[in-house]
Amino acid sequence: MTYAYLFKYIIIGDTGVGKSCLLLQFTDKRFQPVHDLTIGVEFGARMVNIDGKQIKLQIWDTAGQESFRSITRSYYRGAAGALLVYDITRRETFNHLTSWLEDARQHSSSNMVIMLIGNKSDLESRRDVKREEGEAFAREHGLIFMETSAKTACNVEEAFINTAKEIYRKIQQGLFDVHNEANGIKIGPQQCISTSVGPSASQRNSRDVGSNSGCC
Amino acid sequence: MNFLRGVMGGQSAGPQHTEAETIQKLCDRVASSTLLDDRRNAVRALKSLSKKYRLEVGIQAMEHLIHVLQTDRADSEIIGYALDTLYNIISNDEEEEVEENSTRQSEDLGSQFTEIFIKQQENVTLLLSLLEEFDFHVRWPGVKLLTSLLKQLGPQVQQIILVSPMGVSRLMDLLADSREVIRNDGVLLLQALTRSNGAIQKIVAFENAFERLLDIITEEGNSDGGIVVEDCLILLQNLLKNNNSNQNFFKEGSYIQRMKPWFEVGDENSGWSAQKVTNLHLMLQLVRVLVSPTNPPGATSSCQKAMFQCGLLQQLCTILMATGVPADILTETINTVSEVIRGCQVNQDYFASVNAPSNPPRPAIVVLLMSMVNERQPFVLRCAVLYCFQCFLYKNQKGQGEIVSTLLPSTIDATGNSVSAGQLLCGGLFSTDSLSNWCAAVALAHALQENATQKEQLLRVQLATSIGNPPVSLLQQCTNILSQGDKINRRGSKIQTRVGLLMLLCTWLSNCPIAVTHFLHNSANVPFLTGQIAENLGEEEQLVQGLCALLLGISIYFNDNSLESYMKEKLKQLIEKRIGKENFIEKLGFISKHELYSRASQKPQPNFPSPEYMIFDHEFTKLVKELEGVITKAIYKSSEEDKKEEEVKKTLEQHDSIVTHYKNMIREQDLQLDELKQQISTLKCQNEQLQTAVTQQVSQIQQHKDQYNLLKVQLGKDNQHQASYNDGAQMNGIQPEEIGRLREEIEELKSNQELLQSQLAEKDSLIENLKSIQTSPGANEQSSVTASDRDSEQIAELKQELATLKSELNSQSLEITKLQTEKQELLQKTEAFVKSVPVPGESEAGIAAKTTDVEGRLSALLQETKELKNEIKALSEERTAIKEQLDSSNSTIAILQNERNKLEVDITDSKKEQDDLLVLLADQDQKIFSLKNKLKELGHPVEEEDELESGDQDDEDEENEDDSKDQGHIQL
Repeated sequence: MTYAYLFKYIIIGDTGVGKSCLLLQFTDKRFQPVHDLTIGVEFGARMVNIDGKQIKLQIWDTAGQESFRSITRSYYRGAAGALLVYDITRRETFNHLTSWLEDARQHSSSNMVIMLIGNKSDLESRRDVKREEGEAFAREHGLIFMETSAKTACNVEEAFINTAKEIYRKIQQGLFDVHNEANGIKIGPQQCISTSVGPSASQRNSRDVGSNSGCC
Repeated sequence: MNFLRGVMGGQSAGPQHTEAETIQKLCDRVASSTLLDDRRNAVRALKSLSKKYRLEVGIQAMEHLIHVLQTDRADSEIIGYALDTLYNIISNDEEEEVEENSTRQSEDLGSQFTEIFIKQQENVTLLLSLLEEFDFHVRWPGVKLLTSLLKQLGPQVQQIILVSPMGVSRLMDLLADSREVIRNDGVLLLQALTRSNGAIQKIVAFENAFERLLDIITEEGNSDGGIVVEDCLILLQNLLKNNNSNQNFFKEGSYIQRMKPWFEVGDENSGWSAQKVTNLHLMLQLVRVLVSPTNPPGATSSCQKAMFQCGLLQQLCTILMATGVPADILTETINTVSEVIRGCQVNQDYFASVNAPSNPPRPAIVVLLMSMVNERQPFVLRCAVLYCFQCFLYKNQKGQGEIVSTLLPSTIDATGNSVSAGQLLCGGLFSTDSLSNWCAAVALAHALQENATQKEQLLRVQLATSIGNPPVSLLQQCTNILSQGDKINRRGSKIQTRVGLLMLLCTWLSNCPIAVTHFLHNSANVPFLTGQIAENLGEEEQLVQGLCALLLGISIYFNDNSLESYMKEKLKQLIEKRIGKENFIEKLGFISKHELYSRASQKPQPNFPSPEYMIFDHEFTKLVKELEGVITKAIYKSSEEDKKEEEVKKTLEQHDSIVTHYKNMIREQDLQLDELKQQISTLKCQNEQLQTAVTQQVSQIQQHKDQYNLLKVQLGKDNQHQASYNDGAQMNGIQPEEIGRLREEIEELKSNQELLQSQLAEKDSLIENLKSIQTSPGANEQSSVTASDRDSEQIAELKQELATLKSELNSQSLEITKLQTEKQELLQKTEAFVKSVPVPGESEAGIAAKTTDVEGRLSALLQETKELKNEIKALSEERTAIKEQLDSSNSTIAILQNERNKLEVDITDSKKEQDDLLVLLADQDQKIFSLKNKLKELGHPVEEEDELESGDQDDEDEENEDDSKDQGHIQL
């Protein structure tokens, strides 16, 4: 399968917030209720379509446990996008966001697109972190924000795709050096690069990204 | 120079002492000197000593050297020396050449120094940061040092690198170094770094290692490349072996496709260098890593599919069938193909279709099997072929069926031209080579694996033994050979043949009561088995005893009690009496307790260090695991329990059958329901369609009725019209009047023509008259003077007349053409009408008759119009004739004029004479007068012609009126 671009993602956040479930839902469209601790890092991939372009997403799902923190740090540098996940039913996972974000900012390329995700939106009755709080945090740190449910698949697709749209927009603007693979972006085989094509269209998309907070 | 002298002197007199001192001095200088140059020189000196006096330098200088690394980063030269020195101390590589016998000791030394070095984790981090230095003198020794640290104490160093931020990522950058030495040593460093550490392997893969390594391999010329390719392949293997996440990444990254060119080795194979063989070996192993049977099934199958889709499997099969491939590469290729097709139907089907490029082309499977039963082939190759065959049949019912069918009487090729797989297997089974026996037996067992149909099919196989003897079944032949056992002289281990056959029989009989019955039917078999089990034989025979016990156990467990003499119960009693239950179970246990059993149970590949180890088949060990327990239970069970169980079974079966009966009924009813539903829906559909059709037809009929009525009314009108115009002649509405009118017109034209003709005739006579007058000029010379004047007048008049006549003719011909076109139109209209008439006629029977009527009339009309046409034609011909006449008269007029001119000349002549003849004039005056009168009389009819012209104009007016009338009719 050919693709126009390849984006590398990482998923980070505290243990048990549903990182692996988000990935499983995105790649396999299924949900696994049993928590199976991720050891180190696991890999998943899927093709998406953005502005009529095939884009391959390679996703590294990291272990949330503190003991793996040093390993997962190695994945920041080569990633174009990061999904920073917390659990809306556990405030401490929200409180740890600052530390995760620091880590990410420190080790990643400055252009890495970070999407803040409040997961488990299906558990409204046990909500511990208000949606507004998540929005505020995202605004403050310049992140995109979404609430998702890996269980019901609500907004899961959107989370991955909107991140890709934002990366694509940055490519169009010339913010990413697509030839440097350390940025987590690769041009597909036999693909000519036209960085100037349709920046206006992509800008429109980016605005959509910001406002699209979906059904949750 | 002090230290140098020390070095020189030290060699001669007690090195231990002097060197230690020198090294001490150097270390002091490194530690205390404030001058960089001085320190640098000291470190350089230490470096030169470090190889020979490794221990001394190591003990004394390590600390100082590390300090230099920390403080003198600005000077790449001194850093380079320090790293080199450290490398010499820690690495064992160089030492081995110098002192062979003390290798062991030096290894300890290396690991000890490594331990000292990494005790401070910061040292490793420091080393990592130094690797960021681009300077060759720093980077290269740094890479080498880190590599040897990893070689010495891999896991510890790996852990330190793993937790140091961006540690692994930084090392990955070495692969991008433009200096080949560093890149190549970087590969070696990464090899050591990734050895058995999944986390690091994943990070390295994440950092695009696959892409980079594959690029390097391509750049270096794939298998033709040097040792760099080998190093890259080893690193790739490190990254992929037993690492599912990386394998998945490798597959998702479409890197499998990039492996295909590796195997495009071509057929010429002029050179198979040792390096090429090594490279290709590693490449094949890398393919196997991705499709290993020990990987998760999903991962392996997706890689298998990818390998087929990108043509990798096809490429491998080409090597398989190529000539001149070294034996070990061929063996590994067979093993690789085996695992690429194992359990993957598409790939298995493809493999079955591969043909060897022989004449005639033989299936690859047959060619391979020939090698398997050929004792001259290398042992490993034969094992590989067996593995390939097993993998081809694994979960491949179609393939199993095809293999077994080559043994069945109906499909055996009577001509015997081509050797079939089945023939080769039988040949192997009964050859005198025990290895072939074993391989063929196991191969055949795989054709029966989990396939009840083929187990039954194989019972049909008959073998022709020797001439004159009746054919023997395959099953019978197997047991015969088994019982003859030691009597046949064989090459190789005798036990191998029997073990092979027993494994085949166990596989065959398990889960197949019919085969059990066949087996028991031969009355010699049970006594043979009990005899074997009961005998107290040596250790060597224990395995055969165990297998016999298993076979007997299978005969009991899968017995359907169809043979009176060998019912379950009776066989059990036999065991009790002859062998004893305990003894039987103990013997049964011999199988799984065999030392080679657990080895075979680990991996599907038949991989034996030497032929003697070829005892167990992997699939067979699975069967033993499955059956050992149930057979033990079955033997211990009392007959009453058995009976009870049987009863329970029977009732269960009854229940089952009832349930299945109902299930079937429900299924049938479901089907019926579905059918009926479908019928209803189709009927509904049809009904709707029909209803719409009916409404359509009703409306059509209404339309037709309306049309009919309209036509009726029209017809009535037409009839009225016709009555008034045409004496009741039955004519179509518009036509009769037209025709009448045309006739009238023609009539008029005719009369016109007649008129013109009469006029012409008159003119002709006039001309005649004039001629007669002028031909006698001699007689009337005097009169000719005036006559000529008259003549010219007359001629002008005649000319005018002619012109008018011509224009008249023109207008008439125009009219005629107009009429003709009108007629054409009318004809078309009538035709159209004729056509339009039958359409309503179809639905209305009444109209049909009328249309035929109308048609008749139309044809009559057509006839008439044709006639009229003819008339018109005749008339036009007449007219042209008249024209000609006119022309001729014109010409006569011209002649006359000529004559007149002559006459005028004559007259001028005669005028002269006139003077002379004036006397005579008076006499002739009278005569002239009378002639004048006569001329006057001739002038009368001309005046009448003027009157006729005005009459013609009237005619035209009438015609115009007719035209307008015509249009009116058409509009009707």
